[in-house]
Amino acid sequence: MIQMHDINQPRIQDTPLSLDALLTGSERDDCGALAVFAGTVRNHHEGKPVAHLVYTAHAALADKMIRGIEQEIAAKHGVPVCRVVHRIGALAIGESAILAVVRAPHRAEAFAALRAVVDAVKHRVPIWKEEFYTDGSSAFVTGCCIAEDAAQPHEDDAGHDHRHHDHGHQHA
Amino acid sequence: MAGSRIEVRVQCFGPARRLAGDEWLSVQLGEPATVADALAALAQRGDDFAALLKQCAVALGDEIVRRTYPLKAGDEIALLPPVAGG
Repeated sequence: MIQMHDINQPRIQDTPLSLDALLTGSERDDCGALAVFAGTVRNHHEGKPVAHLVYTAHAALADKMIRGIEQEIAAKHGVPVCRVVHRIGALAIGESAILAVVRAPHRAEAFAALRAVVDAVKHRVPIWKEEFYTDGSSAFVTGCCIAEDAAQPHEDDAGHDHRHHDHGHQHA
Repeated sequence: MAGSRIEVRVQCFGPARRLAGDEWLSVQLGEPATVADALAALAQRGDDFAALLKQCAVALGDEIVRRTYPLKAGDEIALLPPVAGG
C-alpha cells in the first residue's frame, strides 16, 4: 500500500526535517484528504524550563520498525499513503522532531491513521529523548518498555496498545 | 563443551549508556548462553543498572530477541531501554 517513491528515504535523519521532501511524489488523484502532524520541541516539561533536546536512536532498527508501522497502519486504516520521519541529534526549541503524513480518500480515516501512526512510533520505536534544562541539568524522558518478555514490564503490561498518562506526550 | 566461555559485546542506548558510562560493554558467559545470561552478568554492575535491565529490550542486529535467545561467541547485542520518541 505504501507508495514506492519513498522506499529508500531514511526514516531516521540527523538533519532538519522537511515537509516538502516528505510529500514529494505522494500526490494521489483518489485522495481528498492530506493530514499532517509535526511534533515540535517544547520549552518546558513538567514545570521545568527546557533549553534543548537530544534524540538518539538505534537507527537501523528504528528505520525498519517505522517502515513496518507505516505499512501496518496503512493496511489497518485503508489509507494509501502513510509516512513518518524522525530526527535525531541536538534540537533547538521549535524544531520538528517528528513529521507524519497520511493521504486518504476522506478525512476521517486520514485523521485516524495519522494519530495511530504517531502514537505507534512514539511508543514502539527505539528512540530516546534527553531533555537539557535551563539550570544545566538533564534527564531522559520516561519511556515505554518495548521488551515483550521483560521481567518487569513498564506500568501496565508491555506488548499491547498503550495509553500513556505520565510520559509528557502532550506536545502538539 | 563444558567449561568453555564466550565473549559477547553489548551496545548501550539511551539511559543505559548514561548509567553504564560507556557505549560498549562486554560480558564473558559460560556456554550455552542466552540473552538472559548476558543480562544476569550485566546486572552485576549495580542495582540501578540491574533495575533498568529489567525494562530493556534486547536487539541482535536489526531484530529484537527474547530472553531465551541463544548467544554465540562474537555476538553484539543492543540494550534498548524504554523508548520515548516524538
